[in-house]
Amino acid sequence: MYGFEALTFNIHAGYLEAIVRGHRAGLLTAADYNNLCQCETLDDIKMHLSATEYGSYLQNEPSPLHTTTIVEKCTLKLVDDYKHMLCQATEPLSTFLEYITYGHMIDNVVLIVTGTLHERDVQELLEKCHPLGMFDSIATLAVAQNMRELYRLVLVDTPLAPYFSECITSEDLDDMNIEIMRNTLYKAYLEDFYRFCQKLGGATAEIMSDLLSFEADRRAVNITINSIGTELTRDDRKKLYSNFGLFYPYGHEELAVCEDIDQVRGVMEKYPPYQSIFSKLSYGESQMLDKAFYEEEVKRLCLAFEQQFHYGVFFAYMRLREQEIRNLMWISECVAQNQKSRVHDSVVFIF
Amino acid sequence: MEEQDQMQSSIEVEEVEEQQREGKRLEEENVVRFLDSLDSYVTLLDSLSSTLRQGWLELASARQSMGASRINGALLDLKSHSAATSLQVTHHDDEILNQPHFTLCKWASSKNGYGDEKLRENKLQTNSDGPQLRHRSQFAEKIPETKGAPLIVDDQVQKERTKSLSMFGTLVSPKLRAAQLSFETALETLVEIANVRLTMLSTSDQVRKELEGTEG
Repeated sequence: MYGFEALTFNIHAGYLEAIVRGHRAGLLTAADYNNLCQCETLDDIKMHLSATEYGSYLQNEPSPLHTTTIVEKCTLKLVDDYKHMLCQATEPLSTFLEYITYGHMIDNVVLIVTGTLHERDVQELLEKCHPLGMFDSIATLAVAQNMRELYRLVLVDTPLAPYFSECITSEDLDDMNIEIMRNTLYKAYLEDFYRFCQKLGGATAEIMSDLLSFEADRRAVNITINSIGTELTRDDRKKLYSNFGLFYPYGHEELAVCEDIDQVRGVMEKYPPYQSIFSKLSYGESQMLDKAFYEEEVKRLCLAFEQQFHYGVFFAYMRLREQEIRNLMWISECVAQNQKSRVHDSVVFIF
Repeated sequence: MEEQDQMQSSIEVEEVEEQQREGKRLEEENVVRFLDSLDSYVTLLDSLSSTLRQGWLELASARQSMGASRINGALLDLKSHSAATSLQVTHHDDEILNQPHFTLCKWASSKNGYGDEKLRENKLQTNSDGPQLRHRSQFAEKIPETKGAPLIVDDQVQKERTKSLSMFGTLVSPKLRAAQLSFETALETLVEIANVRLTMLSTSDQVRKELEGTEG
C-alpha cells in the first residue's frame, strides 16, 4: 500500500471501481477469439458477437455487413461505458476520465484540419471522428487557415488550449506543419496527464507513471521509425519526444540520430524492459513491432487490475477495450479479404 | 530438252515444298508465340491477384497500426493536381507487331521532367523469361544497370512516393509504405497484362487465319 487509499477511496470511487471491474470481466477471452478467427463471413462474426456485450449494438445491423460498421458499433459500447462512468464520477476522478479522451480529441482536430486542407466536406469528416473526442465547436475548425486562427477561433475554449503554446505560428497549415502540430499536441498532453497523475499521488501515481512512460517510449520509437527517410530533421524529431519515460533523456539522444530499424533496435536493447520486445523480431524486421508493443502494453494494463483503490483501472479498461476493438477490426478485415491465414499476425490476446 | 523440263519441274516442286515447310514453320511459330503469351497472361493474372491481396492486407495492417482516423477515405485529396503516374500508348510500325504498346510513366513530375519511363519500358521489353513478382526494399529501389538511367531517379521517385502518401500525414507507418509499393507493383503488372493480352489476341488472330486458310 502506498498511502491510506483503502480508508477513503471507496467513499467516492468505490462504486465506479466495481463497475469497471465488471466491465473488465466482459472483455473477450482467447476462446472467443478462437471462435471469431474461424468465422467465414462477417455475418458469422456478428453471430458470435451476439453472445457478448457487443450483441445489442450489432443485432439491428442489416446484412451485408462492412468491417467499419462492426468497428463503429463496438466503439459505441466503449463510449456508453465511458459516459456512464463519467457522469457518475466526482473530482478528481472526473478530470482523470476526461484526460483519457484528450488523445482522441487531438486526433479529431487533426482529421478535420487535414480533411479541410484536402477540400473535403466537413460533414463527411465529422462522421469519421472518434465519438470520445468530440466537442461542441469542432465543426468550426474548418474555417481556420493557420494555427493561430485554429487556436483563437476554436481551441482556446477546449481542454487542448494549454497544449497549443508551443504550436502557435502564423504559417499556413500544410501536411508537415499538421504532422508536427499533432505530435507536439500529443507530447504536451502526455506530459500534462503525467503531471496530473503525479499530483494525485499514491497507487494512481505509481501505476499511471509506468503506463504513461511506456506510452511515451513507444511514441518515441514510432516517431523515430516513421521519420526515417523523411524530411524531418534530427532536431525536429527530438523535439517531438516527451520529457519523461525510460528513454528520457539519453535514449532520446540516441534515437534522434537513428537512420534505420537496426539502430533503433540497438538503442532499445540497452533498456531491459524493452529487450523482450525486440527478442521476438529478426534483424531488419519492423512489421511485427506494433504487435510486440501492443502485447507488452496489454500485459501492463492487465497488471493494473491486480491492485485496488487507484484510478489506473479506468485507464487500463479503456485501453484494453480499444485493443479489443483493434482485434475485432483485424479479424473482420482478414475474414472480409479471405485471408484467414494471416489473422494471428495482429490479434493480441488479453486473457 | 525433256531433262531440262524435268529439272525445272523438280526445282519448282522443291520450291513449293520449301514454301510449304516455311509456311508450316511460321504457323508453328505463331502457335508457340500464342501459347507463350497465354502462359504469360495467366501467370501475370495470378501475380496481380496475389499482389493486390498483399496490398489490401498491408493497408488494413497500416490502418490498425496508425488508427482509423489517420487512414480513411475522407482524407483523400480532392484538390486538382497533376497525375504522378501516366500511361502512354505508342504504336509500332512493325509489320509483325502491328499493335499499340502501353508504357507506364511512373512518378514523372511535369515540373522536373524526371521519371523512370525508360526504366519501365526496358523492363517490359526484356521480360522474355516470364513475369516475376518484383520485390523492393522499403526505402530504396534497386534499379538494374541500364544505359542512361541516372541514380538521381532513386531520390526523386522516393520523394514522389512520400508526397503521394502525405495525405495521410508525413510520419506514416512502414506498413503504409509497403502497401504503396504493393499497389505500385500491381499497377505495373496491369500494364504488362495489357501488353501481353494484345500480343495474345494478335497471335490468336494470326493462328485462326492460318487455320482457316489451311481448311480452305
